[in-house]
Amino acid sequence: MAHGHAVKRYSGLMDWLTTVDHKKIGILYLLAGGFFFLVGGLEALLIRIQLWKPLNDFVAAHTFNELLTMHGTTMIFLAAMPMIFALMNAIVPLQIGARDVAFPFVNAIGFWTFFAGGVLLNVSWFAGGAPDAGWTAYAPLSTPTYSTTHGLDYYVIGLQIAGIGTLVGGINFLVTIINMRAPGMSFMRMPMFTWTSFITSALILFAFPALAVGLAAMMFDRLFSGNFFEPTNGGNAVLWEHIFWIFGHPEVYILILPAFGVISEVISTFSRKRLFGYSSMVFATVLIGFLGFMVWAHHMFTTGLGPVANALFSIATMLIAVPTGIKIFNWLFTMWGGSIRFTTANLFAIGFVPTFVMGGVTGVMLAAAPADFQYHDSYFVVAHFHYVIVGGLILGVFAGLFYWWPKMFGRMLDETLGKFCFWTFYIGFHLTFFVQHFLGLMGMPRRVWTYLDGLGFNNLNLISTIGAILMGIGTIAFLLNVVITALKPKNASNDPWEDGRTLEWTISSPAPEYNFLQTPLVRGYDAFWKEKMEGKKAMVPAEPIGPIHMPSPSILPFVMSVGLFIAGLGFMYAKGDYGTGIWASILNNHILAIFGLAITLGCMFLRSVYDDHGFHIEPDELHGDKGVKA
Amino acid sequence: MANQHSAAEEKKHHKHEGPKKHIIAFIFSILLTVIAFAMVAAGEINTTFIYFMLVLMAILQVFVQMGFWMHMKDRGHVFPIVGILSGVVIVFTIVIMAEYWAWW
Amino acid sequence: MSGHTHVDGHLPHEPEKATLEGRNKVLGFWLFLGGETVLFGTLFSAFLALRHQVGDGNPTPMELFDLKIVALATFILLTSSLTSVFAIQSMHTNKVKPMIWWLIITVLFGLAFLGLEIYEFYHYVHEGHKFSTSAFSTSFYTLVGFHGAHVFFGVLWISILIAQIFKKGLNVVTAPKVYVAGMYWHFIDVVWVFIFTVVYLMGKVG
Repeated sequence: MAHGHAVKRYSGLMDWLTTVDHKKIGILYLLAGGFFFLVGGLEALLIRIQLWKPLNDFVAAHTFNELLTMHGTTMIFLAAMPMIFALMNAIVPLQIGARDVAFPFVNAIGFWTFFAGGVLLNVSWFAGGAPDAGWTAYAPLSTPTYSTTHGLDYYVIGLQIAGIGTLVGGINFLVTIINMRAPGMSFMRMPMFTWTSFITSALILFAFPALAVGLAAMMFDRLFSGNFFEPTNGGNAVLWEHIFWIFGHPEVYILILPAFGVISEVISTFSRKRLFGYSSMVFATVLIGFLGFMVWAHHMFTTGLGPVANALFSIATMLIAVPTGIKIFNWLFTMWGGSIRFTTANLFAIGFVPTFVMGGVTGVMLAAAPADFQYHDSYFVVAHFHYVIVGGLILGVFAGLFYWWPKMFGRMLDETLGKFCFWTFYIGFHLTFFVQHFLGLMGMPRRVWTYLDGLGFNNLNLISTIGAILMGIGTIAFLLNVVITALKPKNASNDPWEDGRTLEWTISSPAPEYNFLQTPLVRGYDAFWKEKMEGKKAMVPAEPIGPIHMPSPSILPFVMSVGLFIAGLGFMYAKGDYGTGIWASILNNHILAIFGLAITLGCMFLRSVYDDHGFHIEPDELHGDKGVKA
Repeated sequence: MANQHSAAEEKKHHKHEGPKKHIIAFIFSILLTVIAFAMVAAGEINTTFIYFMLVLMAILQVFVQMGFWMHMKDRGHVFPIVGILSGVVIVFTIVIMAEYWAWW
Repeated sequence: MSGHTHVDGHLPHEPEKATLEGRNKVLGFWLFLGGETVLFGTLFSAFLALRHQVGDGNPTPMELFDLKIVALATFILLTSSLTSVFAIQSMHTNKVKPMIWWLIITVLFGLAFLGLEIYEFYHYVHEGHKFSTSAFSTSFYTLVGFHGAHVFFGVLWISILIAQIFKKGLNVVTAPKVYVAGMYWHFIDVVWVFIFTVVYLMGKVG
């Protein structure tokens, strides 16, 4: 039934600040994640330039530590995570035939708190120095005894705030996928990308609270003289490593699983074949998610856990190769006998397969505890995790962006420039990181500012730096592609690849704000393809055309994140000496921190007290839409 | 999900829900708590045995409270159970870490 | 699909699950509690790892803890869990007044618990058991304090809900909120069961 509520519609900047539309939030995630990807990439280039020759002094040693810490932290938390969330927001509700996500307001909170945390973390560059203890922030290097600047404060508080955003985003997607699926869309008919997003959200739900505790403990140590990780007062530095990796290992699966999903979709679409072994794919995804929580100590073989723990974690880690191997073979068998189209998206997807296999093989090598004592903290490890994260996740994200760009923006990315982007990025990637395996085996330790001449590292490091520049060129080609595409007319059809198999290709590009004029009836896996095979052009609707309920836009999520940002700064600077002025009384008494928290809690209060009735889009407003007669 | 059951059955199912069941659960909780406190207050018992019993009492109490008060034993709670249980499994590994792998 | 259609005054039997929004809220909150399980589990683990790190000359758990206060706090919180169950039962039978009363009683019990905890902490600090005294004290205050903060937030939350029900009455929008707050309160109670077991009773045993 219709309500007479006045519809508040904003435009311009206000529209983006207040939006609760998952498609727009997806674009916001992409913008923010893309920005931080460029920042992290720039840091990577500076690292590579410093290392291109022995005894270089391009950046100071201390700056190098900040660069490598911020590169890792930015890329994992502020670039990879949000780009995953960008694709999830843009596509998952469309793939399950939902009008909206379960919690559009919470979804907006998720984005804005992530963004506030990310900005806060990067403010550190201009506030006396960025964090410099590595992205893992191992104690005691990160405890107040050895880290006296505010850098690590920015790390613990910035990540804490960003983590809140990720956590609520994960819950939103879990509930969306469980409760909002269209009629007929059973779990075993869900597209692979939705499945992997589902498992990733579950991993987020269970991994991020552990990080929250670890960061809170580190924050208490740093700001309130706690003793969690302070050995002089009975604390335990290894405890931080444990807590960090209990979060940190699932985190890498949080990153890679959605990429697996993208690859499954892209390969299946451009091979014009049903995904081989769909149910084994689902099983493998769930198994990887479960095992991901049981292997964290393989990052800590050399801390001295003892042979029993090392053996257990060694075996558990190697076990993960089994479901991953199932996936690899499934992709190969999907391509087998298919009529493959080498679009840019598919190039990235096909390029992903051998690259990820290499990363997986070095992973199994590292999982062998005795061998790991040799590889540990060498460039071999650096090569391994870049093979799985860049060669896995980033190639997957690129594939997904090329594939779904028309669905997100209504325009196709340029294919020629796209292929140039692929080849430069791909060749650059292998140049950069392949040689690092050998640098590691030759004994070059990771995280070193520079190295001596005559150790045999020179040529390989030079090659690595050239590769990094090539990757930079590939990224620029992508940016150029985005700009050129944005200038073209918005003319992508509903199903621009013509071989779309899933529900997102049944609606216009970009999707209307209510996604589906009529909720579709799903009759099998690859729902759209099934209809196509029966000669139909569209889905059978599950309901007649009627008014569509929409949530109201709100500025509260943005204000809440600003509140957290202010509170973060307030906590950080509470423990300084500011004389006796007004700032001293404000900061030393935590007044700024309390003010910030009050803003956030006040927003929660307003949200609770004022009901959001939303508004309805009436059928007569839905003109111009190619609706199907019910 | 499991919506095949008729509305009549739904009604019947809820008719049983009176305060009695919850008061019994409460008495159970109090009993388990008293046993735990009494064992510690009594002292002079084998420490390992006390630890074992304390944990057992706590787990029993969780079953009582989550089952009855949070309705986890009722139908339609598949995802809540999966969610909480997954958390519990992960917590189990973290506790093992704290007990065995934090110091040596 | 959209909620708010029950304008005729008749509430469905389980109003918290009558709308998709309500069902989403309840399920989302369950999953959130799954995450909270890991949060408290990690805090417990940190405490377990550090609980013997008392340091020289600092009060040990055996000297510090007073089981009488803990028992009283436990009784208060357990009872408040029962009263919150009664509130939800009143909601299911659409009796708004008793529901509000049970919620008010729950909040009062929560406040009593917080008062006891503050008294307890104050007492400990005077005995030389400060936040920064040792790894044991830091992990103790963090774990028990996180729980106390949850109780405090719950008290605030349920108070706001009481005021809302007073103004708006019970409907398919407010019912899920009350239901979810009830779940939160039980969860806090369950966490306390482990706190008194692991922190206090095991601390007394040694």
